[in-house]
Amino acid sequence: MRQIFLVLLSLLVVAGADAQSRKERKVLFGSSYNYEIAVLGVGQDGTKVFKVWGYAKKVDDAIVQAKKNAVAACIFRGIPGGNGAAPTPAICRDANAEETHADYFSGFFETGGKYLKYVNLTTDAIPSGQDRLKVKGGYKVGIAIQVLYDNLRRDLEADGIARRLDAGF
Amino acid sequence: MKKIVLSIAAISLSLAVLAQAKKPTIMVVPSDVYCISNGYSQQFVASGVEQTLPDYKKMMQSDRNMRLAITKLAAIMADRGFPLKDLEQELKNLEQEAAEAAALQGKEGGEIVESPIDKLKRTAKADIILDLDFNIQKRGPQNYVTFNLRGLDAYTAKQVAGAAGTGQPSTSAAPELLLEEAVISYIDEFNGRLQTFFDDMFKNGREIKLQLKRFNSASFDFEDEFDYEGDVKGFGDIVDEWLDKNCVQGRFNRVDGSGNMLKYEQVRIPMFKESSSGRQVAIDARVFANDLRSVLRKPPFSVDCKVYQRGLGEAWIVVGEK
Repeated sequence: MRQIFLVLLSLLVVAGADAQSRKERKVLFGSSYNYEIAVLGVGQDGTKVFKVWGYAKKVDDAIVQAKKNAVAACIFRGIPGGNGAAPTPAICRDANAEETHADYFSGFFETGGKYLKYVNLTTDAIPSGQDRLKVKGGYKVGIAIQVLYDNLRRDLEADGIARRLDAGF
Repeated sequence: MKKIVLSIAAISLSLAVLAQAKKPTIMVVPSDVYCISNGYSQQFVASGVEQTLPDYKKMMQSDRNMRLAITKLAAIMADRGFPLKDLEQELKNLEQEAAEAAALQGKEGGEIVESPIDKLKRTAKADIILDLDFNIQKRGPQNYVTFNLRGLDAYTAKQVAGAAGTGQPSTSAAPELLLEEAVISYIDEFNGRLQTFFDDMFKNGREIKLQLKRFNSASFDFEDEFDYEGDVKGFGDIVDEWLDKNCVQGRFNRVDGSGNMLKYEQVRIPMFKESSSGRQVAIDARVFANDLRSVLRKPPFSVDCKVYQRGLGEAWIVVGEK
């Protein structure tokens, strides 16, 4: 009886540990701060060109997430430098912009939403090799992307979300 | 009655919201090192010392790369709400203005009066100078560009923004293309820093320099004491107290002082003040200095002062005469 009890207990502990890691993965997949970016070079005037990764259960969903991440990185975190390109600061300089304008951004980042207006060019075919990694619970997908950074900035300024350089003057 | 109160409140609110700070002017000026190392320079002997100064006119007439960089910068800055003053056009205007001022006559033969100071002031000026330097270099078959853009506050002499670095070497891209790429690459970083400077200006006030000097006709010097607000205080201490009351968070720094001058730096003045009509109006160093002059015109000082303006960010109050 005691042995059965110990086996059951150990099974529960293992299941609990697995549930924890699944929960963590879910949080990681859903995190709005999980932007992984590698700059590919200096883009055409007003654009940024970089490679961005997205996580999801399916490859297609990971591509959608990667596009959202690309635009979100431009707005909230800025883009690092690399390959001859200097770092680019975030469009919204307020660290809590995402929470402050939560209603605006929830609509903006709906799948198929306004964010797509600023994604100009991607490697939209199903990525392969190192750009499509099977990870536990889904896929990590990397796509090269061109974001219309200046258009995005202008629209956010016009909507009152970002502050213009000449605001107050 | 309620309607009148509401209307007055709405008007006051709209006036407060519409108030706008004085916009700094920005101009790209090629750096001294760029001009001199590329041969756009002129030699002067001043007080027995030979000096090499940049020749901007010669540079603008001959350097296509610099013109390209300035055009690109100007287009980007105009898009961000800051149309740049153009150095080349400004130099042409100054020449034209000097010629017109010399030729202009009234119907009765009167000529324009111009003091030596007026002539000295006739130079190309901006509140923020974009000091630009770049160098197209070769490494074997590859070209690459080193780029250095500094935003300098013309009055405080502080660097308020900057971006510098080296572009990616290329064997195929023309040097002009690499230069354009460098401008595009660095301008967002630069503007980010400029925005931080403006944000700080709106939060902590515009930083200016203020100097008090005295004409030899002044009836007192700056070490004299006055009976002021029920206490006997030195003139400099009274000015310090006034600045403490009128600067944003009382922030200023007296860097030097004597019987003949008081020199203040890091003086943080508010961007706006309420006018006598209740409107919010933008202020600069001259308006701020005028307020101090008003205090000096009253007892116990009762002295005339000249306010000498040096752009948006520096003013002198010369005590003793207008």
